[in-house]
Amino acid sequence: MKIKEKKFTHLKKWDATLASCIRCGYCFEHCPMFKYTNWESDAPRAKIITAFGLLAGQIKPTPGAAKKLFNCFYCKRCEAACSSGVSLTEIFTDAKKDLLAMGLKGPGTTSITHMNCARCLICIGVCPHEARSNQETGIETDPSKCQSCGICVEACPAGAATIENSFGTSREELTKKAESFLASHSSAKAIVFACNWSYYPELQASQLPKSETKDNAYEILVNMCGGRLEAQLLMAPFLNNAWGVLVACCPEGECQHDGNIKAKKMVANLQNTLKTIEIDPERVQLVEIPAGDKALFQAKIDTFVDKMNTLGPIA
Amino acid sequence: MKSVDEPRLREIVGEKNIKSDPSDLYVYGSDASVHHAIPWVIVKPDTTLQVQKIMEYANQALIPVTPRGGGSGMCGQTVPIHGGIILDMKGMNRILEINMPDVYCRVEPGVVDDDLNLALKQYGVFYPPTPASSRIATIGGEIANNASGVRSVKYGATRDAVLGMKVVMPNGKLVNLGARTRVEASGYQLHKLMIGSEGTLGVVVEATLSFVPIPEFRCMGIANFDSLEDAGQAIGSIMSSGAIPSMLELVDSIAIKAVNKTMNLGLKEVAAALIFEADGMVKEAVDYEINKMKLICEKHHGKDLHSSYDPKERAKIFMGRKKLFPALSKYDDNLSSTSLADDMAVPYSKMAQMAGKIHEVAKKNNIIMTAYGHCGSGCMHTKILMDTRRKDQWQSAQKAIGEIYDYVQSVNGTTSAEHGIGLSKAAAFKTEKADSLWLLQTIKKALDPNNILNPGKLMQAPDDWVTATNLRYSVNS
Repeated sequence: MKIKEKKFTHLKKWDATLASCIRCGYCFEHCPMFKYTNWESDAPRAKIITAFGLLAGQIKPTPGAAKKLFNCFYCKRCEAACSSGVSLTEIFTDAKKDLLAMGLKGPGTTSITHMNCARCLICIGVCPHEARSNQETGIETDPSKCQSCGICVEACPAGAATIENSFGTSREELTKKAESFLASHSSAKAIVFACNWSYYPELQASQLPKSETKDNAYEILVNMCGGRLEAQLLMAPFLNNAWGVLVACCPEGECQHDGNIKAKKMVANLQNTLKTIEIDPERVQLVEIPAGDKALFQAKIDTFVDKMNTLGPIA
Repeated sequence: MKSVDEPRLREIVGEKNIKSDPSDLYVYGSDASVHHAIPWVIVKPDTTLQVQKIMEYANQALIPVTPRGGGSGMCGQTVPIHGGIILDMKGMNRILEINMPDVYCRVEPGVVDDDLNLALKQYGVFYPPTPASSRIATIGGEIANNASGVRSVKYGATRDAVLGMKVVMPNGKLVNLGARTRVEASGYQLHKLMIGSEGTLGVVVEATLSFVPIPEFRCMGIANFDSLEDAGQAIGSIMSSGAIPSMLELVDSIAIKAVNKTMNLGLKEVAAALIFEADGMVKEAVDYEINKMKLICEKHHGKDLHSSYDPKERAKIFMGRKKLFPALSKYDDNLSSTSLADDMAVPYSKMAQMAGKIHEVAKKNNIIMTAYGHCGSGCMHTKILMDTRRKDQWQSAQKAIGEIYDYVQSVNGTTSAEHGIGLSKAAAFKTEKADSLWLLQTIKKALDPNNILNPGKLMQAPDDWVTATNLRYSVNS
């Protein structure tokens, strides 16, 4: 099998790296996308195999193959976990550049703009990756720059910026998950929104026996970047009798999208709102968790649930 | 020929549980081995009934079916060399029951090993066969492969921990094999036959597993050696002394260099190191075992001996071992780490020679090989580091593999200690089992007369895997 080099000008420099990935698959466990779909073809290893196949001419650059590479939240947990030291997301980005040149666009998890865009240009200003620009045709996203943090989705006043393939991280999906948890658990008190960087529950692919899961006091929902949190999402659980909502995001200076700064402002605003309607502002709190510090995260959750127990339900 | 009734499969498992886009098929054509082949369709059943219906259809239409768990196999066990259906069992991932009074748990095959152990931990027990890939390996895959790992020297392999199972046979019939009791005396112990059968006899849809208490005390020790030979002799002496290690691992200089490079563990770069562990409920008993092993290491010129009960230090040493396989690919930027001749077992007294032989054969054939493994259970692992783009390196690797297994067989060792046979090790397996191959074939024929379950593996695999199967690498001439 000869390597076809003519089309993949960006990808070809990864030739040796793609061969050195030993395909152990240990990256699966860290990928939020795989956790959500439980399809191996959505796991990081599958993207590497696809990139290799494209470069080696073993598969054609079809929309199906492109979709795999355009679907990534750039949380980079796979990279952190890879002991072969493969720079997975850099490879995905280079593959995207080549696929874009061939007319394949995804969109996958990259953000797009709907027709109801009013061209207020807010999304261009908030994008931490300079992926959005004002073109004659409308507000365009460069998919090779977009890292799917979703900050534009939160910022867009018209609801025109959107990530179509949300893999369970859209406001509607998260609201529904929170609602169903609160309705089905008799001791349910809190919803914890965790960003994918500060924490991601590592072991959840398998379903535990009912006896193990029915009585949890809280549910952790992963919302990707904290910068994407919306007030409606954080307040929705209270409509379903939640006692409190906890937000976890990266510590200052550690968020690659500066989304934690936005999340902090959002939570502070909500606390003020709660005060005005005479609800204890501590029912919405934010905690900063360094990447993967499970012990600290658990301790913060326990403290929060204890606090909710002293406050009791909202009268 | 390639022909599968997709609408019928869709009807069985539902729209969301089937994939047939060429890009998905390509992805599901590999595992952690060197092989690659394209299936016709991927089906992910949720229930036993769906598995039965799929098998009924495949058996009648004569379509190959390859069951698949985490896809972490290193010998091509799940690579569908005859195409057909990939049965992705990760959809059946429920832990059904943790029964403390009767000391067993029941799980579906797609449950991930680490997930099970996390659930068991709250009861103070663990499922011990755990391989290094436990973060993604499923119980179904572990059963098919008879997986084992670092603690198997004390607690045994998967075969020792499975009490019973439900299996869908190639004709779609569901059978209950084994029992939920600790002992079962009579009959053919068919559940044990399924363990290690690499998906060629039936599809496991539920397993009843035993577990053991998590020990109160664990102590891990390390000893460095200036020669691989000394380390090998220490292993033999430890095991024949009656000591009961809960872990006894060998890593050679190449392996040490690789984990240092990727994980910055600061291990001393010596010719070989032994990592050993003892566990138990009483500290004095653990001390006794650890001291015994330390003394033996000293006798065989072991240096820098130290041991620790500290969980953080133990975790650091253990992590290096656990991530060794992927770390090896960082040994040299131009070399890839391949799972070839990756696993074997030899009698304890031959461990030292075996380790030396691996390095000798590698040198002779101009490739790099490492020697490491769960030596306490007689298990030796190697990896071949080579430039996978060069055809001549593949020829050298093939020659080296032949020489290694000739040696293994000459000292009454066996082809696979725990990674299985699949495609990569079939040639050596067939030589080793020459006088009983007809028995294996008779059993296969009796249970799977149409040869639809994972065909072309084990005794059916082609002798020359380099030319008879596709490699996942791009090999230039």
